Amino acid sequence: MVYVDSWDTFVERSISLFRADPVATRYVMKYRHCDGKLVLKVTDNRECLKFKTDQAQDMRKMEKLNNLFFTMMARGPDAVVPEELPKEQAAPPPSKKGRGRRQ
Amino acid sequence: MIVDWTVDLNSGLWCPASSFRSQLDPTLDLNNTEVLLEADPFLNELTKLYERNKTSGSVWVTMKRSTLKHQKKRKTIEESPAVEPEYRCLVRATDGKKTISCTLSAKDHQRFQTSYATVLKAHMDALKKREKKDKKSASTKAPGS
Repeated sequence: MVYVDSWDTFVERSISLFRADPVATRYVMKYRHCDGKLVLKVTDNRECLKFKTDQAQDMRKMEKLNNLFFTMMARGPDAVVPEELPKEQAAPPPSKKGRGRRQ
Repeated sequence: MIVDWTVDLNSGLWCPASSFRSQLDPTLDLNNTEVLLEADPFLNELTKLYERNKTSGSVWVTMKRSTLKHQKKRKTIEESPAVEPEYRCLVRATDGKKTISCTLSAKDHQRFQTSYATVLKAHMDALKKREKKDKKSASTKAPGS
């Protein structure tokens, strides 16, 4: 099986694979709780890329990749992933030194 | 509970209609039908899939872009480039026995992806945590050294 060792290479190659054929490319995620293993697969039925891991740190990376794929699949292969909005909007700019000028 | 009974073609005996249906058409596999759901019920069922498969089994989640049209219709659409097909993101989840699916439009996907990420984080916790100190640790922060 075509297992890729580096996460960044896997992401880069999957994105180019998707952009080359957006309709045929699919992203599969297999999770086994009993073994604590996660395998990601991206294929366009011609070429297949896989990434396996048992590390919790890869969860966050996988989430980002999920977001990327969701955006590209729903909006189009050229769509740019918007920055994470909720956290940034929730934190107001910290410029409340002293009393505010409320009239 | 009312169960439809019909006569089995092979043995001539009475049997429940569901088994009769599968005998009539062997390609109709009643146990492996895919259930198409809306986004929220899909996430609920996905949660149940993960919970059911904690001690053994795998959960597969597939994502693919699709127009959800049949092959023949798709060809006619391609021939008339004036009308741009509406793409949807198809998400499928299965544990080998039960399959659920859901389609997302460009509007739905952002809300779905946050909820989906929450479900994943909640259930996929069997992965190994790094024992060495690292810059961003998901669990407790190491005291400053």
